[in-house]
Amino acid sequence: MSGARRIEEGVRRPDRVTLRLDGADLAACPGESVLAALVASGARRLRDDREGTARGAFCNMGTCSECTVWVRKGAAAWVRRRACLVPVEADLCVLTHAPEAT
Amino acid sequence: MTPGSSHPDILIVGGGLLGCASAWHLARRGLRVALVEQSQVNAGASGQNAGSLHFQIERRFLEQGEEAASDAARIVSLNRLAIAEWQGLEDMLGRGLDIAMHGGLMVAETEAEMALLAFKVARENALGLPTRLLDADELRARAPCLSPHLAGAAWLAEEGHANPRILAGAFAQQAAREGAVIACGARLTGLAMQADGQYRATIEGLDGLGEVTTPRVLLASGHWSARLAGLLGLNLPLYPVPLMMNVTERGEQVLPFLVQHVGQRLSMKQSEDGNFLIGGGWPSRFRRRADGLPDLDRPGEIVEANLLGNLAVAARVMPGLAARSLLRSWTGTTCISADQLPLVGEVGKAPGLFVAAGGSLFTLGPVLARLLAQTIVDGRPADELALFLPDRFAHLNAFAVLP
Amino acid sequence: MNASMSYDVAIVGGGPAGMAAAERTIGAGLSTCLIDEQPRLGGQILRQPPPGFAVTGWQSGRLYRAARALLARVERLDAFDFRAGHAVLGVGAGHAEEGGFALSVQPLATGGVERIDARRVIVAGGCYDMPVAFPGWTLPGVMSAGAVQTLLKSPQVLPGGRIALFGTHPLMIVLAEQILAAGGEVAGVHFAQPRRAMLAALGPRLPGVLRAWRPLLEGARGLANLRQAGVPVHFGSAIVRAEGGDALEAITLLRAGGRERVACDVAAMCYGFLPQSDLVRQVGAAVRWAPGPGGWETLCDEGMRSSLPGLYVAGETAGVAGSDVAMLRGALAGVTLACDAGALDEVEGARVAAALRARIARLAPFTAMLRELADPQAYLPEPELETLVCRCEDVSARALDAAIAACAEGDDGFGASAVKLRCRAGMGLCQGRSCEHAVIRRIARASGREAAQVAGFTARFPARAVPIAELLERDAPAR
Repeated sequence: MSGARRIEEGVRRPDRVTLRLDGADLAACPGESVLAALVASGARRLRDDREGTARGAFCNMGTCSECTVWVRKGAAAWVRRRACLVPVEADLCVLTHAPEAT
Repeated sequence: MTPGSSHPDILIVGGGLLGCASAWHLARRGLRVALVEQSQVNAGASGQNAGSLHFQIERRFLEQGEEAASDAARIVSLNRLAIAEWQGLEDMLGRGLDIAMHGGLMVAETEAEMALLAFKVARENALGLPTRLLDADELRARAPCLSPHLAGAAWLAEEGHANPRILAGAFAQQAAREGAVIACGARLTGLAMQADGQYRATIEGLDGLGEVTTPRVLLASGHWSARLAGLLGLNLPLYPVPLMMNVTERGEQVLPFLVQHVGQRLSMKQSEDGNFLIGGGWPSRFRRRADGLPDLDRPGEIVEANLLGNLAVAARVMPGLAARSLLRSWTGTTCISADQLPLVGEVGKAPGLFVAAGGSLFTLGPVLARLLAQTIVDGRPADELALFLPDRFAHLNAFAVLP
Repeated sequence: MNASMSYDVAIVGGGPAGMAAAERTIGAGLSTCLIDEQPRLGGQILRQPPPGFAVTGWQSGRLYRAARALLARVERLDAFDFRAGHAVLGVGAGHAEEGGFALSVQPLATGGVERIDARRVIVAGGCYDMPVAFPGWTLPGVMSAGAVQTLLKSPQVLPGGRIALFGTHPLMIVLAEQILAAGGEVAGVHFAQPRRAMLAALGPRLPGVLRAWRPLLEGARGLANLRQAGVPVHFGSAIVRAEGGDALEAITLLRAGGRERVACDVAAMCYGFLPQSDLVRQVGAAVRWAPGPGGWETLCDEGMRSSLPGLYVAGETAGVAGSDVAMLRGALAGVTLACDAGALDEVEGARVAAALRARIARLAPFTAMLRELADPQAYLPEPELETLVCRCEDVSARALDAAIAACAEGDDGFGASAVKLRCRAGMGLCQGRSCEHAVIRRIARASGREAAQVAGFTARFPARAVPIAELLERDAPAR
């Protein structure tokens, strides 16, 4: 866990929704990026590299692709997205690893 | 060029797979070899192709009807030699080449395509190539990642893929160790036959112009070979073909085989690193020069419809591919001969002038280079090259004037 | 790919340059489509809070005043199409008869790939933090300064409890203040260059620079604020390594007094910025190696026209110079384009363009001073042989060096693509954006060339990795 947190002073946010992250529930604010929600929750390891070493957020501008995850909205198909470019909304599932092959 | 190489036994033009492999075979046999490459070793089609090792009769020959199919069938015997060549290549070059010969599938979607496969397999078996027809169930058992709608496939256990990014360079490295002189950034700008039958070549290199006098020249420059033969006033029926290839991001290993399609342009495989390589001969398009002619010096541009067409066939054959991300599409220029068969051997009109080109020669490259080297050293064509001798087009040079 | 929409102008990038360009093209009556990956206008410098957030005093600092005014003006415009959350995958030739360009864009929310046709295109892609490889830099918690800053600006998230900053760029002072203002803790600001090097860059240009006195004053005031808040600010303090198990725990710095180990859960690097130019390279416009941090800036004429007819550039894509210059260049590109399209009277256009160029010229001494003062080249940390240089494909400095050595055998003109083919550096998801400059520098060093003489990776379609299913959403006729 990191000491990351949401800034509360002077900030009004919409009511939280629940994000499903790797099968667990995570409260997040609609509109903030999935990456921001993950960072704010203290999550640091976003993926493993080819040696199994931890990797985390790096650029937060869509350039480095380190935060690429699988995202599913409702019953739609899983899609590959950069987490820094996906706004949190209700009914969103996120996987940091590949979904089971169907 | 270094002074020591101004009188080589052979000047090879082109640092692709055929040029580098020929350089190695000839240098090993004691010839003084000089190789010139206008850009970098392996910069052309040899390094840009998909790296398929395909030994079944190709779809393009089957679709040309009975006559071409019979030619193609004669290639089968050469393919059998090529299988042995690939199996020994890593030992021969003393290094890994990412060669994976875990089998290849040529799939069929319709009953008509299955019939074509059955026709092909019968022909191949008669020629000693042990392809086997798999029905839909057998195909599913062997490759569960492929679509259940496929009607079946022709299976050949020796097919697979290798890494085109390192093969030509490995030959070049070994050739250099055997004494071959390899000059990159060196362009052949002049070629003439002297009265004594020797060739005088002008090379524009990084350090200025150089002259080379040599009894033999090998043009192994893909479609450029035709232009270079033009320096001698000779015609070679080789034409540039701009193609495209695609690669996906890495994923877990699910496809150990080479996959082709009997009725569609498709080659698909998963690399050692997990990326899927998708191609199969879909055209790109040359950009235009200011004068309106196609610009052969620049990579072609992607034709959107063909990009989508290629990916659509691939995703139909392997549905799991659709979820993967396309990382990069690139274009490269291969070449094609007037009868779709490569030109390998001596040009009768110009003794000492050899050619090795014709496109799509990754699979056959290593064995063709060996046979060509044998031809050059023995002074007579290797029997296996009979089908490929450039002199089947001798009529194109009936009016050429050489000393 | 889905059916196309047709515009007079497509502008890629909704930051200061893109917004300024749009203001001009819309003002000239040209149908304009502005495309950005982010959900809201503003670019990285004005990464807005998400819709539904209310933030008191958002970006109220003086440095942001002009850009905020522009943002407010453009948000009030209704005569244009803003494609928020759209990634541009490619810029290609348009219709055979009508010319122009065809852009392939991916709406990130709904998926699929659409085609946008435009007679003319302005690429205002902005820039990104120069990624710098050093031992431990791939640990979670080591990130770019831009990542920290955009997390603060938009979702109002502090990414760590103790944030250390290191690098060569004075933006660190601004960022440290923003962290403090957000209630965070700054575990030190470490400039790799000595203070005298910074003063040396400042000195000779002082008269010209003083005309742009505001940022200097802000910088001085910022330093004083940090000192008062007890934030250690060091000069000549160079990063050596980042340490931690599964995530960052500390960084080690080296300076005249010895080594210092600084405990932190986030360490942000700030060595300057590289232009986003993959689209202009993909479509074949001429670029050149940029000074300082490097990367490829687009060659353009005094009207922001690239070497390719109909393709214009604005902002940092034409060379990193900061948001004030970016806005002016964006406006200039918009005006030039409007004149070229016959939508703006030439005399009037020339007058406006001359005025914009004069304002750019006034900022030039400050831009040049900042570039020299922040130049990271002499202060880049050295990766160890096992340090990964390519983050996507996990290519170590050792593997990279081996590939470079192999390429060098018998060939002294090889470029980054040849090295990539041998060791996979640049073949991953980021498509080389993270490691290209480092690969080029390493080639240059090994072969005794200048970085500018080393050819970069070949930019290809798609500019962003895109799921095949989305490309295929609508079957195109295949041949």
